[in-house]
Amino acid sequence: MTPTAREERIRGVGPASTAATTITGRQGMYWLARRETLRVSKLWTQTILAPVVSSLLFILVFGLSLSGRVRNVSGVPYDQFIVPGLIAMAMVQAAFTNNASTLFQARFDRYINDILSSPMHPWQMTIGFVIGGVYRGLLIGVGLLVLSVILTGISITHPAALIAVVALCLLLFASFGTVVGVYAQSWDSTSFIATIVIMPLAFVGGTFYSVSLLASPWEELTHVNPIFYMVQAMRFGLLGESDVSIWLSLGVTAALAIPAYLWAQWLFTTGRKLKA
Amino acid sequence: MYKPDSSAAPPALELRGLTKRYDDGTLALENFDLVVPDGAFFGLLGPNGAGKTTAISAVCNLIRVTEGEVLVFGEPITSLQARSWIGLAEQDINLDRFLTVRETLAYHGGYFGMGRDEAGQRAEEMIEAFALTSKADVRAPKLSGGQRRRLLLARALMHRPRLVILDEPTAGVDVELRRELWRYIRQLHSEGTTILLTTHYLEEAEALCEEIALIREGKLIARDSAAGLRAHYGADTLADVYVKAMEVA
Repeated sequence: MTPTAREERIRGVGPASTAATTITGRQGMYWLARRETLRVSKLWTQTILAPVVSSLLFILVFGLSLSGRVRNVSGVPYDQFIVPGLIAMAMVQAAFTNNASTLFQARFDRYINDILSSPMHPWQMTIGFVIGGVYRGLLIGVGLLVLSVILTGISITHPAALIAVVALCLLLFASFGTVVGVYAQSWDSTSFIATIVIMPLAFVGGTFYSVSLLASPWEELTHVNPIFYMVQAMRFGLLGESDVSIWLSLGVTAALAIPAYLWAQWLFTTGRKLKA
Repeated sequence: MYKPDSSAAPPALELRGLTKRYDDGTLALENFDLVVPDGAFFGLLGPNGAGKTTAISAVCNLIRVTEGEVLVFGEPITSLQARSWIGLAEQDINLDRFLTVRETLAYHGGYFGMGRDEAGQRAEEMIEAFALTSKADVRAPKLSGGQRRRLLLARALMHRPRLVILDEPTAGVDVELRRELWRYIRQLHSEGTTILLTTHYLEEAEALCEEIALIREGKLIARDSAAGLRAHYGADTLADVYVKAMEVA
């Protein structure tokens, strides 16, 4: 191609107008949220299928195989009893991992500069990123719920409580993942928290048993575990059964979700760890 | 020292008393003033660590400024309007690995306030303009070095910025691509876009820039046209000017 033809081709790439248009950042937030959900969809075998299959195996192995020996816990068939905890565990891990990895990747590859330099308010950036983790957690939760209904016959007893706890859990762990993704110095940092902190807390948070069956001091210690309250609230929403009050469970989850979100928001507002 | 003329249109870029001290104590810029007029093709030259990228990062909201003020067409950089007027092509390739060429452009347009239809249409224009049609659905990591560099420039221009900042856009590229990028940039400037260019290639600055500023250790040490700098330093070439200016500093 001759330079003349090339120059003709690129004619018009310059500014169209110097007129001031009102920039609100809403479009930017929408596109950022869209980008985050697109990433989840593009990597669906890793982001959705793998955690669903993994949790499904727990339901099949622990629920269906043990339900012959452990028939009921707190009056609920065992295969149904473990479903709320497993769904909660899969959702919170996905929301956390999603945001920790997307933020760390964005910093590592430095394409986060494209977002930081854009005309968006810091709160819009925070929401845009958090939506990605919430979306991934929701897809996994809905997928597992549908499969659980088919396999175990579980149903939703208190939909409002279920919606509330899902919203709070996802907000908490998507925000916490955002914070960890911003602070992380390596991929190990993000996976460390997922595998050494969140997963063990989920396992000992009453997913597979009722806390009332535990001896002292394990029963009391379980009440210090924040994921215990999320599992209990999920169980109340699905089965109408819980070891503690639904209000206490929602209160504890909200008391963690709000500061976690504000922490993520503070990082974007101040630029700490995001800007040199 | 620049004295603002309140009767004139605001300059494209104005840095007032800009100071940046990094967390490790490094003072990258100290009370740095710079004015780039609207419509100028302005070069920023200096050795590694002089503060060029720090100054650019301050303009683009990528660092936490210690002290000072940044105005873009008279608007403080803290305003969304000012940020919407800037297009940045960074020195390093920083493309989103999950997005195709088409998506990279459209999403950037979206971040900068474009609606879906407008972003899609503009992305097609940029793909055509930067000869990326055959790669429109290819993800960034699978592009060649030259294609990535063109995509980086296309992304910076996607939202029709009034001020385009090019941080060493031709660093590490072959002569053919460099000439191609020069043509893109010249065309852009001829259409009225203000360009701020940093480069290590002195012949590039001389060939492209109407005005050049030399900076060292975070301070402005000279500013003029290439001819003016040569005359001031009694040098035959810009390379000689550069050497003399840095020695004096």
